[in-house]
Amino acid sequence: MKRKFLSPPVLLLLPAMIIIAAVVLVPLLLSLYTSFTPFKLTRPDTLYRWIGVRNYMRLFEDYYFWAAFLRTFVVLTIALNVEMLLGLGLAVLVNKAVSGQRALRTIMMFPMMFSPILVGFQFKFMFNDTVGLVNNALQSMGMERVIPWLVDEHLALFSILTAEIWSSTSVFAILILAGLMAIPRDPLEAARVDGCTPWQTFRHITLPYLMPFMFIAMTIRSLDIARAYDIVQIMTAGGPARRTELLWTMISRSGYVDANMGLANAMAYISILLSIFFTFYFFRKLMAARRYMGGAQ
Amino acid sequence: MKIGNRAFLFGSAMSAVILCGAGQAAFAKDEVMGDFSGVTLKAKFIGGNQYEPLYARITDWEKATGGKVEIISKKSHFEIDKEIKSDIAAGSTDWCVGYNHVSFAPQYTNLYTDLTPYIPQDTLDKYNPSFIEAATINGELQMLPRAQFDVSALYYRKSLYADPKNQKAFKEKYGYALTPPDTFDQFKDQAIFFADPPNFYGTQYAGKEEAVVGRFYELLVADGGQMFDKDWKPTFNSESGQQALQWFVDLYKAKAVPPGVLSYVWDDLGSGFASGSVALDLDWPGWASYFNDPKQSKVAGDVGVIVQPKGSSGKRTGWSGMHGFSMTKDCGDKKAAASLIWFLTNHDSQLFEAQKGPLPTRTKVWDDLIAQVKESGDTYRGEVLTAFQEASKHAFAVPKFPEWVESTNLIYPELQAAIVGDKTVKEALDDAAERVGDMMADYGY
Repeated sequence: MKRKFLSPPVLLLLPAMIIIAAVVLVPLLLSLYTSFTPFKLTRPDTLYRWIGVRNYMRLFEDYYFWAAFLRTFVVLTIALNVEMLLGLGLAVLVNKAVSGQRALRTIMMFPMMFSPILVGFQFKFMFNDTVGLVNNALQSMGMERVIPWLVDEHLALFSILTAEIWSSTSVFAILILAGLMAIPRDPLEAARVDGCTPWQTFRHITLPYLMPFMFIAMTIRSLDIARAYDIVQIMTAGGPARRTELLWTMISRSGYVDANMGLANAMAYISILLSIFFTFYFFRKLMAARRYMGGAQ
Repeated sequence: MKIGNRAFLFGSAMSAVILCGAGQAAFAKDEVMGDFSGVTLKAKFIGGNQYEPLYARITDWEKATGGKVEIISKKSHFEIDKEIKSDIAAGSTDWCVGYNHVSFAPQYTNLYTDLTPYIPQDTLDKYNPSFIEAATINGELQMLPRAQFDVSALYYRKSLYADPKNQKAFKEKYGYALTPPDTFDQFKDQAIFFADPPNFYGTQYAGKEEAVVGRFYELLVADGGQMFDKDWKPTFNSESGQQALQWFVDLYKAKAVPPGVLSYVWDDLGSGFASGSVALDLDWPGWASYFNDPKQSKVAGDVGVIVQPKGSSGKRTGWSGMHGFSMTKDCGDKKAAASLIWFLTNHDSQLFEAQKGPLPTRTKVWDDLIAQVKESGDTYRGEVLTAFQEASKHAFAVPKFPEWVESTNLIYPELQAAIVGDKTVKEALDDAAERVGDMMADYGY
């Protein structure tokens, strides 16, 4: 009997593998390759000049790149924690509502429906020093000076964080609410019968049940925030004086405005480390939480 | 140079006054026309309210020549710039007529071809020679400029200068009469004098990205400096550069500009002056009509416009830019493409665009425009045109090298660092010069 070149399972999987290779693997490999070239969009011949790890070496010595890396890490950490706490609070409150819960859930999702660009413009206007709503409100309450929200070293990052948190807290709230709705009633009732306080019930029963949902939300949002671009670009464009420069404002400027796609891709590959770190960390936590609840390993 | 959509604001009032209808006028079938039946030109243009009315005239060209134009892309400046760069990278350059801008043209020299062989010299002579020179890179005419020329003049609040109390107080404090400033030193004095934060500011400036570098560049030139020497080594950290940057720092420290000025770009400046909270505004021609429109501006009826002030060298600022049309090297029918480019920048097309606000780049169109305004009796528009015509005499473009935009991205954070006080003026400029010098060395300069 003639032997077949490919086994049926491989043959059946082949179309999917080819599609995945074409849409995921090839672009990834190409961008990885360009990070070892001085590829400039306006000089296509530079795509074929191999310069080894020079882009990476340059970035390792670039203070501003690592400052942006660290700033992204800080923004990510603060945003994730604040969004998680606010999302948890919102979810618990909505879960307590006896009537109109469906309407509340819909309203809670409104910020997610806005494009990040629109959110950026909205908050840029609110934090504008002369015509912005925030300063006008403070001045109407008696403040006699102007707060430069988008310029001050700390306030500029605070303003960006406010916009990020406003737009995405509902991601946490929705996922945590789903977790709250899935909690079995028996342990809660048993705790009440045993005389647990509401805090003890929440701390030792509700929260452990919610942890897997929280870690999934954190993983999703950590990937989002590590790529934060639109809101920052519109509100401050990374300035002034690089005070709000995050990785993707820097990468985008280098790749498209400066046309240095090789260098930008090298930055992007280094920045992936941040996403890998947070994803790995949260998945470990997720596994631990599931083990604690007696779930799958 | 400003990339934006300001000038359409200029024209709403004026287009009602001036309706000679160049767009409807029959154009002479001359110069670079021809029979292009069966030819379809693919084009990529800049989009936006300010730029698109001109494209309606393409049907006239199609009727006259038999050719067809297919606009395959129409996007904002930064989007079309990205697309053009991606096309260059991917080699997808089989379209014919494309958008160009004098500040970005050096980046596109691999894409666009020299127009000189396709446009007769007597036709080229009808454009202002300085614009043709600005559009010529390495001896090749990269684009023909349309009536989208930008240079800044100084807008001011007339009532502030007419107020006897202000005149007396200013004279006592500074020792000279209060009149709209003719030098940047006077500009600074007056901005500080008028400032009453947080309710009122003396002036404002664009504080980020290429915008702040452009303003710094023109003040550097007006103070007698240059960005680079003849070997392309950065020289903007010279004494003149420090003096130029100090002007921005002094205004910021004196609180004569809004504290958020470093996050401002063109729209913020326009709305700031129109809100009535700013005394002086060095700005583009596109705002003139908006500033004087009572429905949109609190300073309508109180706006004066004069030529931009001089720097310490006696030279006036004049950072300028202009949009135009170019032809790709891969274009299959270059004669037809050249004809379309000429048509979109000819006398009638320029008059058509200029009537809506933007400034023309052909000498005769200026004359015709001013004659029309005189006839209409609109004194404000007359004052605006006179100021900007004078301003355009001092115009100069950015240094012609492909990495201009990239260099501005290295310079502007350092300018900002000096303005907010993170670095001294010298430290900031030295750091910027070092980074730009490294970049230039990388590119083999």
